[in-house]
Amino acid sequence: MSSSATEFRRAAIPSSRIARLKDAVQQAAPAVCPERALLWTEYFANRANRAKPRAIQAAEALALVLARKRVRIHPDELVVGNFSSKRVGGAIYPELHGVAMLREIATFPHRRVNPLAVARDEIAALQRIVPFWAPRMLGFRVYRSPWSKATFLREQLAPRHYILNELAGIAHIVPDYANLIAIGTSGIAKEARAVQRRHGTASEEWAFLEGVGIVADALARFGERYADAAERLAARESDPARRAELALVAATCRRVPRFGARSFAEAVQSITFAQIAVNLESLDNGISPGRLDQLLLPYYLRDCARGVLDRESAKEWLAAFSIKLCEVVPVFSDTATRMHGGLMSGQAVTIGGTDRAGRDATNELTYIILEIADELRMRQPNFHARLHAGAPHPYVERVAEVLCGGANAPALYNDAVIVPALRANGYTADDAQDYAVCGCVEPVAPGRTFGSTDASLFNLPIVLELALNEGRRFGTRRRSGARTPHPSRLRTMDDVRAAFETQLSFQVERLVRDLQAVERAHRKFHPTPLTSMLLAGCVERGTCSTAGGAVYNGSGVQGVGASDTGDSLYAIARAVFAEQRIELPALVDQLKRDLPDADLGAYLRGLDKFGNDQPEADAWTAYVVEVFTRTLGAHANTRGGPYTTGLYSMTTHQYFGSRTGASANGRRRGAPFASGIAPADGMDRAGPTALFNSVNRIDFESVRNGANLNARFDPHALRGRTGRAAFAALLGAYFRRGGMQLQTNVLDAGVLREARAHPEQHPHLLVRISGYCAYFGDLTPEMQDEIIRRTEHGVGGGMGASSGTGPA
Amino acid sequence: MGEVIPAVVDVQRFSLHDGPGIRTTIFFKGCLLRCAWCHNPEAIRREPEMAFHPDRCAGEQRCAAACPRGAILSGPEQRIDFTSCDACGRCADACHHDALRLIGRRYAVGALVSEIVKDRDYFEESGGGVTLSGGEPTLHAAYLGALLPRLAAEHIHVVLQTCGLFGWDQTVSLLPWIDLVQFDLKHMDSAAHARLTGAGNERILENFARLAESGVAVEPRMPVIPGLNDDPENVRATARFLARHGHRTLRCLPYHDFGEAKLSRLAPILAPLGRPRLDPAALAPFTHRFGKEGIDVVVCD
Repeated sequence: MSSSATEFRRAAIPSSRIARLKDAVQQAAPAVCPERALLWTEYFANRANRAKPRAIQAAEALALVLARKRVRIHPDELVVGNFSSKRVGGAIYPELHGVAMLREIATFPHRRVNPLAVARDEIAALQRIVPFWAPRMLGFRVYRSPWSKATFLREQLAPRHYILNELAGIAHIVPDYANLIAIGTSGIAKEARAVQRRHGTASEEWAFLEGVGIVADALARFGERYADAAERLAARESDPARRAELALVAATCRRVPRFGARSFAEAVQSITFAQIAVNLESLDNGISPGRLDQLLLPYYLRDCARGVLDRESAKEWLAAFSIKLCEVVPVFSDTATRMHGGLMSGQAVTIGGTDRAGRDATNELTYIILEIADELRMRQPNFHARLHAGAPHPYVERVAEVLCGGANAPALYNDAVIVPALRANGYTADDAQDYAVCGCVEPVAPGRTFGSTDASLFNLPIVLELALNEGRRFGTRRRSGARTPHPSRLRTMDDVRAAFETQLSFQVERLVRDLQAVERAHRKFHPTPLTSMLLAGCVERGTCSTAGGAVYNGSGVQGVGASDTGDSLYAIARAVFAEQRIELPALVDQLKRDLPDADLGAYLRGLDKFGNDQPEADAWTAYVVEVFTRTLGAHANTRGGPYTTGLYSMTTHQYFGSRTGASANGRRRGAPFASGIAPADGMDRAGPTALFNSVNRIDFESVRNGANLNARFDPHALRGRTGRAAFAALLGAYFRRGGMQLQTNVLDAGVLREARAHPEQHPHLLVRISGYCAYFGDLTPEMQDEIIRRTEHGVGGGMGASSGTGPA
Repeated sequence: MGEVIPAVVDVQRFSLHDGPGIRTTIFFKGCLLRCAWCHNPEAIRREPEMAFHPDRCAGEQRCAAACPRGAILSGPEQRIDFTSCDACGRCADACHHDALRLIGRRYAVGALVSEIVKDRDYFEESGGGVTLSGGEPTLHAAYLGALLPRLAAEHIHVVLQTCGLFGWDQTVSLLPWIDLVQFDLKHMDSAAHARLTGAGNERILENFARLAESGVAVEPRMPVIPGLNDDPENVRATARFLARHGHRTLRCLPYHDFGEAKLSRLAPILAPLGRPRLDPAALAPFTHRFGKEGIDVVVCD
């Protein structure tokens, strides 16, 4: 390892080029870009195209977009390629779910949450395509019978039981960028042609491979358009330095992505073009570059050895690439915004970990990317750091340093749990050890998995609501679940569990039926030749990824509200059966009426909750996860892969909460559920070690689609050498005890101010001062201000004083 | 039983500033001193007691209905008639807003050990353990005599935080089970010590000396209260005392007033000190004076 790795430059100021690029992107108002939607419409509205095989239609439509979309090279850029016609923009995919977005498009510029700029003529143009797509959008094509269609659409317009993200597209892959940069699109097209010769021209395989050839060439031409643009700009450029840069850009784009990359710069540029094109193919969500520190390392080392690259310029290239990933935003309707929050496109970059043989693979690029994550602190990409038993000490220490400094990224992943989880999912040892994170938290094999990791989000607490009410939601007479006994006939906790499991099976079967119908619709109507050519297996088999061509083919279903469900079951066990404080029918009556008895509500809220290291309470949440995983595991998707459990919720814990009645853990009707696998909101009061012990009662090896635990820390606690050491130890023990993943959130002064204003929402905030015993919420406002002041000074290294404990 | 099992204010896990590593700090109730700057006044009395947080009170009066002794007042600032309250805690159970709290929970030795070993992996990974704090833990020597061997059997590192005012004979038998004693020196002049803490310092200084001889690791600490114990004379006396007993380092705890908010919630026990908190940056001259006497100051906060 070079000496630069040992000297960590956390506060290094990014190069002025990077600072300018970052400013330009951060200052741009996110906007809707109509190009993709209009060009797609132009292609499909043309009757001449309608008789062609779907794979060729899909390929030609994408080729049209790549050929005609506006090409922009911004000032200062070395890495070029614009996702959209806006500096920061998002596309609409009318053939999938985009039509539903278009219903609301006129409100986008003015809405309160995530406003998106869109010009009046753009609105008009987009509204004109609605009549064409409305009957053709995916949601309409899932079921053929009008009755099924109507039922399905009614539920999915405002879903209560589960959300089918797949209706908006599958996406969510880590493309095989290693192969792309090695052999270029021409290499892939050549392979496709070779396989194509084995199939008849009327076959599905032939058409699919023809589509691959079309998109491979279209992607190459897309790069060449930037070569042309850079040459034109260079000719007009007066600054000789910039002129030289533009000449370099032109030369690079002339070469890639059509051919294999010969340099680090060409490799990064090739990936950038592919990243843009894949985002434009089906859905701009979860397209994850993957293990950049692994796939770029040979190019980095070769260029450094040749003397054409140094650490700083490599860092600049990668920083520019990172900033570019912020130029794309998902366009969400209001409903989708409520489910998915923020402007998360889920482009995940993974660092660290092992190679395919299980040897440590940390390298100089790992550290460079870690520095970029810390210094840029931008919305995208999502940075993820793998940790394993053989991870080098400086790497772990540096990760701890970045996180304790308040970066909130990277998120951390435990190889010791994830590799066996993937093995259990049928991955080879090599592929499991090579995993990268896709989207939010989902582990996949780069370039091999078509995992639909965000297929669906499933409302767990509503299953208990159905179980307590004979299969009906509170306040409705229509039965939306299975018929289970009236609460008066649920005489033991086993009866309650049996009813819960019956309802769960019923809902999971409904979900699977819908998902399989959506999968078939994707396969039939929306093949993805570009995605497929970047996934091993598809070209070899002549089979599209939507039809199961990739090596691994799971689907991820996220259980939302697991701890609310577990806490509610525990509350029933305590209140009804152990303490006999209330009979079950009376409790159900209270829940139906939103807990009018305030004493009962306070009692229920006061019972032990998941997250405080109370084994009895925690066991119920572990049970919910276990039974959900078991129920889901009984089914396979139409691509031949398993349905796997994920435990993360985006912002659907709020959305589902708003659509679910009161629950026995004391949660009122409409109130949010807990996020991911976190304890129900504000219910973790015993600190991070207790929280981790609770969370580790879940068998994460069975949570194969990944979990998200977001732990909050008071920055005061984590500052200095002592704080970092404590954090590293905390993490070490948590992972040793079977923790899967951890995202830290070092609270900033803003959060503390918020806690000051709403102490009841932040009972977990601890104050850690030597020998002093208090929670933040118990301090007077004036003292809280003092803590906030300390926080502001503490972060960023203002106070370097030892915190007074011995060496940890 | 009440005599044998002490009340505990809190078992605070993930404590990072009470000894090395990640620790679980046990705040025992009961203290013989009445330090004017006390920051855990709820730990002074030995017995459980009620506290009232007026800012949380919604005025629903559930407490009044729940109290069997009629000890609930209707005033806005104080809800509890401490003369008749016996800290049964029923008002706290009745309150939906956590405005009334019972301070002091009794853990049988086994229950406390179970609570402590929950974080054993974190102790091991960080070099941490348990810190006995308070209040004054040595008041509960018999209990500790039962607790500490159990912790030793679990290989858990133990720090004792003490004000130094304890009977040597009762405490000496605990020393083999303790890995580190954090010992507070508040003032070298006994009269001043009595004025500030309610007791002279003779026994404290004697215990410090005997501890030094006993071979147990001791970390001297000093709460720095501006104008009360940071004068050059006391600094010199403290430094010389430390040097005489072979110490080169002193851990200083700069005064903060975070304890004062607690006072009004409790039955009257101390008057607020009414001094501004000490900015650690203002400790430089103090640190310098110790330095001149050959003592390194480590500032804790």
